Amino acid sequence: MNSRDLLRLVVWAYRIMAYITGTMLVILCFVCIPLQAFGHNEPVHIVGTAHGILYIIYIVVAFAMTRFVRMKAASAGTIIVLAAGTIPVLTFIVERWVTRTYIKPALGQPGATSSEQPVLH
Amino acid sequence: MSSVKPHPRWWFLITPRWLAWHAFAVLAASGMLWLGDWQFHRAEGGNALSWAYTFEWPVFTLFGVVFWGKTIVDEWKTRVRAEAVPAAGPDQSANGLQLPGTAHTAGRADDVEDEDDPELAAYNAYLARLNSGGPGR
Repeated sequence: MNSRDLLRLVVWAYRIMAYITGTMLVILCFVCIPLQAFGHNEPVHIVGTAHGILYIIYIVVAFAMTRFVRMKAASAGTIIVLAAGTIPVLTFIVERWVTRTYIKPALGQPGATSSEQPVLH
Repeated sequence: MSSVKPHPRWWFLITPRWLAWHAFAVLAASGMLWLGDWQFHRAEGGNALSWAYTFEWPVFTLFGVVFWGKTIVDEWKTRVRAEAVPAAGPDQSANGLQLPGTAHTAGRADDVEDEDDPELAAYNAYLARLNSGGPGR
């Protein structure tokens, strides 16, 4: 496995986790918390715990990704990527932004900012 | 001796910006540990959900510490590279840019393949561009 395959693997893991964690958070905030307001506590407990565990995996994978695309640790971009897992909907937006700004250039795809083609399919 | 003796490389660690960052790291870490302790007491009090958070907060704390360490290592490497670039050729400086986690030998194998892989060549050009950006970015 060369370094580019490794990069692809890490990017793929990041995307999977971004979407799972993001979806879980949207369910938590827009379904479970309103339900709690009507006295149903169970959904918040289950989905809340699930999101907590998924977020741990997410930050590890996302941080690995930022290393691989050579984002500086002490940069706003890295911190936004890591924090995105706790802010509803932001993961989806940040994933697209990271793809355009860092992942495509790192994979050596020219014209990354103009083309909208998905990278890994 | 007309030239001023330069600061040692670790000097950046005690500049105001970095001191503020260290202070924030310490505060954040102790805050997260405190939250973990609080959740532990809630868990002991019979709140089942708190057990999950009891284990999550220490994990976040550990991650925060690793993150803080990485910011220092990044800055350090940027400085080392900035000093090395004028002296060494482009090949030497590219070696310092191996992806984390990949062995040096793997990088060498890639170098051999370079010529007939335009995508990899573009990636290497991208690394070179990053490298020539100098310290700071």
